[in-house]
Amino acid sequence: MTGLLAPLADVALVLGLVLTMAAFLIWYERRLLALWQDRYGPNRVGPFGLLQVVADVIKIFFKEDWVPPFADRTVFVLAPMVIMVAVLMSFAVVPISPEIVVADSSVGVLFILAMSSMTVYASVLGGWASNNKYALLGGLRAAAQMVSYEVFMGISLMGVVVLAGSFRLGDIVEAQSGLWNCVPQFLGMLVFAVAGVAETKRVPFDLPEAEAELVAGYHTEYSGMKFGMFFVGEYLGVTLISALIVLLYFGGWRGPWLPPVVWFLLKTLAVIAVFFLLRASLPRPRFDQLMAYGWKVLLPLALLNLLVTGLVVLS
Amino acid sequence: MSGAVLLGHGLLVASALFAIGLVGVLVRRNLLFQLLSIEIMLNAAAMAFVIAGARWGVADGQVMFVFILVMAAAEVAVGLALLLRISRRVPDLDGDAVSGMGG
Amino acid sequence: MTVLFYLAGAVALLAAGLAVSRRNAFHALLYVVVSLLAAAVVFLTLGAPFAAVLEIIVYAGAIIVLFVFVVMMLNLGPEAAPRQHGLLSPATWIGPGVLAAVLLAELVVVITTAGGDAVAGDAVGPREVSHALFGPYVLAVELASFLLLAGLVGAAYLGSGSRTTGGEG
Repeated sequence: MTGLLAPLADVALVLGLVLTMAAFLIWYERRLLALWQDRYGPNRVGPFGLLQVVADVIKIFFKEDWVPPFADRTVFVLAPMVIMVAVLMSFAVVPISPEIVVADSSVGVLFILAMSSMTVYASVLGGWASNNKYALLGGLRAAAQMVSYEVFMGISLMGVVVLAGSFRLGDIVEAQSGLWNCVPQFLGMLVFAVAGVAETKRVPFDLPEAEAELVAGYHTEYSGMKFGMFFVGEYLGVTLISALIVLLYFGGWRGPWLPPVVWFLLKTLAVIAVFFLLRASLPRPRFDQLMAYGWKVLLPLALLNLLVTGLVVLS
Repeated sequence: MSGAVLLGHGLLVASALFAIGLVGVLVRRNLLFQLLSIEIMLNAAAMAFVIAGARWGVADGQVMFVFILVMAAAEVAVGLALLLRISRRVPDLDGDAVSGMGG
Repeated sequence: MTVLFYLAGAVALLAAGLAVSRRNAFHALLYVVVSLLAAAVVFLTLGAPFAAVLEIIVYAGAIIVLFVFVVMMLNLGPEAAPRQHGLLSPATWIGPGVLAAVLLAELVVVITTAGGDAVAGDAVGPREVSHALFGPYVLAVELASFLLLAGLVGAAYLGSGSRTTGGEG
């Protein structure tokens, strides 16, 4: 039985850790934003306002779960599930420490790219099924933005893969035992981080849900727990991208004195803080600026990074 | 129940998928559905290559899969751009309505 | 693994069959996505993880998203369901169905007489595939890149009409 129980224990551990993290991030983001904006943020419920998350969850559970009568019911219900399933599936190949990993697949990096390409469907399905013009526009924007930025994400990753000679995330971390990839792959890291922000539709690039133009974009019609799933899915996406940045460019679980898991969590939280700082400081571009920036700046940079990496490795 | 998948069964799945795509192309008159059915057929052909490659344990099957993927991507890009042009003349995308040339 | 293969194959066939018989373009696309994901599982069970992942990234994640994009741009919603004259009448299905059935029967006969071998379950990983791609097949890779360039130029030209799109993807 231990042969069957051990993977299940890993699954439970990773799921628990990741979902706790996503819940924690709601508080973390609001407190950090408040800090940068000279406010207090949520500090009433529980110590430091930590139980605010619990209050929010209770609130969202008891909201009316309304499906608009004009919506395509099946697709409407399916959309928020897609994002949760796709993002949680990606965590299966993320090694939190050398021992804790559900499935250290030989195509781990590609698997994460595949799952993140599946998250496009959540926004697109939600936008289409809502049968609402703002939602449709948000869905269209999401499709164009995420398909484009996934290209840059993939190409910028390849520099790391070339250096490690493997798609396995564990091998990539092992390959950074001397020097972390953030030094030789600095350009790739920048492109990956920008593409990651666009993939998770976080603030400088949150055009699919730009509240100033599109009400709430593709999730305009969503309420209650279905909205909650989109919301948690976004935080899970941020956690995933940050964990990937840590694994690919900042040596994963490596670090002195502290156990590997602690190092991994500390680094991930630091990267997430940078994500939130971007939200606190950057304005939102126009959509054509976003696309032009991607195809005319990020794509050449990513290709240059890959070319130079290949030259250095081969020579 | 033997331990391994039979080559014939794999190829059967691929050819059945191909036949379904073929029926789709022949029956549907909507250009979008026809393009979609062609994608199903291409996917079936690619699947046959992968299965054959797996039978001999060589990479060539997956290499051909990659080439079919590239071809499908190029075909879809051009096909959908054409579809958008056609949709301005024929809003319901009826393939029979664009059978005439000239003009 | 064997059970998984048959299950995924059945799902792929069922989803493809539902896809070509839907009236609603968006639902058809969703069924195609399911079919492609099932095909990816088939590849995985046959020891081709690289092909499986590429199937999801390129087919399901890019090509079908392009289809979805076009459907949303043309707004082929349920109320704007395209006119399908006689789609639901069985008469239109007879001719193509018979033709496809004959083709399938021929394939079945050929395969069952020759295809009794077991598929070797050894995984062929990304390393072997890339060695083959940039070794003996390097010329074909170059040709494929020409094809992609031609497709890009063609799509950009056709799309550069009066209709403005978000980007050519």
